[in-house]
Amino acid sequence: MDFDSIYLSLKLALWTLAIMIPLGIWCAYRLLNAGAMKAWLEAGLALPLVLPPTVLGYYFLVGFSGKTFFGIPLVFSFTGILLASLIVNLPFAIQPIQRAFETIDPQIREAAKVCGLSPWQAFRFIELPLIWRGILSASALTFAHTLGEFGVVLMVGGAIPGETKTASIAIYDRVQSFDTAGAGTLSLILLGISLIAIALAYGLFSPRTQHQRSGKR
Amino acid sequence: MLKLQISQTIPMPLQIQLECLPGELHALVGPSGSGKTSTLRVIAGLMQANEGFIQCDNTHWFDADQAKVNINLPTADRSCGFLFQQYALFPHLNALENIAIALLNHCHDTEKRLQLAQEWLDKLGISELSRRMPQELSGGQQQRVALARALARQPKVLLLDEPFSAIDNPTRQELYKTLASIRKDLNIPILLVTHDLKEASLLADRITVIDQGISLQTASPRVLFHKPRNSRVAELVGITNIFKGVFSAGALSLDGLPHVFQVVDKGKIPAGQKVAWVIPQSGISVFAQSTPNSLAATVTQLSSLGQIASIQFVIKGSAVLVNWEASSAEIKRLAIQLGSEVHIEFDAQQIHIMPLRPINDPRRLQESGNTSEL
Repeated sequence: MDFDSIYLSLKLALWTLAIMIPLGIWCAYRLLNAGAMKAWLEAGLALPLVLPPTVLGYYFLVGFSGKTFFGIPLVFSFTGILLASLIVNLPFAIQPIQRAFETIDPQIREAAKVCGLSPWQAFRFIELPLIWRGILSASALTFAHTLGEFGVVLMVGGAIPGETKTASIAIYDRVQSFDTAGAGTLSLILLGISLIAIALAYGLFSPRTQHQRSGKR
Repeated sequence: MLKLQISQTIPMPLQIQLECLPGELHALVGPSGSGKTSTLRVIAGLMQANEGFIQCDNTHWFDADQAKVNINLPTADRSCGFLFQQYALFPHLNALENIAIALLNHCHDTEKRLQLAQEWLDKLGISELSRRMPQELSGGQQQRVALARALARQPKVLLLDEPFSAIDNPTRQELYKTLASIRKDLNIPILLVTHDLKEASLLADRITVIDQGISLQTASPRVLFHKPRNSRVAELVGITNIFKGVFSAGALSLDGLPHVFQVVDKGKIPAGQKVAWVIPQSGISVFAQSTPNSLAATVTQLSSLGQIASIQFVIKGSAVLVNWEASSAEIKRLAIQLGSEVHIEFDAQQIHIMPLRPINDPRRLQESGNTSEL
C-alpha cells in the first residue's frame, strides 16, 4: 500500500484548506464592494476553472523555476505544489463564500451598523454566522478538489515520493506499471474520502437536516 | 435637539431642512420616491449628503462646510436608533439576542446584556417571546423586537422608516399605543417616515412635507391641512379643492370666472399675482336655490360611501370642479342627483391663498413673470 502518497494528498488538502478558507473569506468579502473592477476580478479568479491543468501547470513551472520561498525551491517541492494548489483552488473557495455573502440582505448589514457594531463586530457576529454554509461548501470543494488534483501537481512537483507524489499521481504511476490492483485500491480510498467530505458538507449540514435535528419545521 | 440642513444632487436630489425637538414626534410625509427614507438614511450615516450639516444636541454628526474640517461620523458612532420597514432582525439570533447585540459596546458582561435586553422585551410586552427566532414571530412581534433593539442602546434620536406599513390594522393600532407610551419616557427627537397622512396627523406633533427631495413645509398637522404653503403641499396633504385665480388688493378670482371673493389683504401679495387657493369642507355650502353670493353648478359625480356621500360639481360656464362631502340625509334634503343643478357658496373667511409653486421651484419665477397672461 502507498500510504505515503495518501498521507501527502491529505497533508496537501489540509494545508490548502487551512490557508485557502480564510483567504477565500477575505477575497469574497472584498469582492462585495469591488465596484467597477468586480467583473474583471471575478473573471481572473475563475480562470483556473476553465484553463486545462496542464496549461496552468506549465505557467507555474515557468513562473516558479529558479524561485525560492524562504529558501525552499518552488519547483519539485511540497511548498511549490501547495502554492500551485492554492491558486488552482481560488474559484472553488471563493465562489461559494461569495454567493453566501450575496444572500445577506443589505438591510441586515445596515441594521448591524445602526446597532453600533464596528465593521469587525458586524462581520464576526452577524455576517460570519450567516455564511457558514457557504464556508462549508467551499471547504468540501477545496478539500476534494485538492485530493484529486493531478495535472498541475505533476507539472510543478513531478513525482518525488514523500515530497510531491500525491495519491492521484501514485495511481497514474501504478497504471503505467500495470499494477491495476494497487491503482484500484488507491482510487477507492480517494473516492471514499472525497465522497465523505462532500456528503458531510452537502448532506449532514444541509438546511433540511438542520431543521430535522433541531425539531423545527 | 436634532437639526439638519442637507443638500445633494447625486444620486438623487435632496434639499432638506428641519429641526426636531426632544420629545417631539416629527413626521416626514410625501409620495413614494420623494426622499423621505433617504433623509433618514443620511441622518443615520447610511448615505452621505454632499453639503450641509447634521447636528444632534451639541455634536456634529456631519458637516460638509468647506471652511472647517469635514465631519462625517460613521453610523456606529451616531447615537441613533433606526427602525426599518422590513424589521431587519438578525435571522440567526433569537429575539433576546437581537436586542442584546445592540448593547455589545455598552456593556461588556454578557449576562448583564441579556438581562437589559429582557427588560426591553418586558417594556414592550413581549417577554414570553425572548427565545423565539425572528422567522417564528408575526410582523407586529418582529416590529416590537426591532423597536426594542433600536431603543436598547439609549439613542439620542429615534428614526422610524415606515414602521407600520407592513402590519395589519389591529396590530398597527396596538403599535401606535406602544409608541405613544414609550415617547413619554424617551424625551428624544423621533422622526417618522410615512406616506400615510392619517397616521402622520394622528401621531406627529409636526409634519414636514417632502416632494422630489425638497422639504416644502413644516407645520403642525392642523396648520398644514388648513394653511398649506403652496398648491403642491395642498395636493400632497390630500386637499381636493385647490383653485387658481388672480389676487388683487383683496379681490380674488376663481379660474377666470367673473365672480370675485373679497378676502383679507395682508399686503404680502402684489396686485395681479397669479395664485392658488384652497378652502376646507367647512367653508363650502350647497343650496338648492340661488343666493346672492352663490355660483350655479351641476352635479357630475355622486358616490355614496355608506352614511357619507362624495359629490363633484362643475361650476357653470367653466371647467372648475368642486368636491364636497355630505351626509346621505343632506343629499336627500337637497335632492341631489347626477346632472341636477345646485348653488354653491364659498365662505371667503376660510379661503387660504398660496403661491402656485414652492419657493425653490424655477417654474414659479416663470409664472410670476407671466401674470399678465391671466
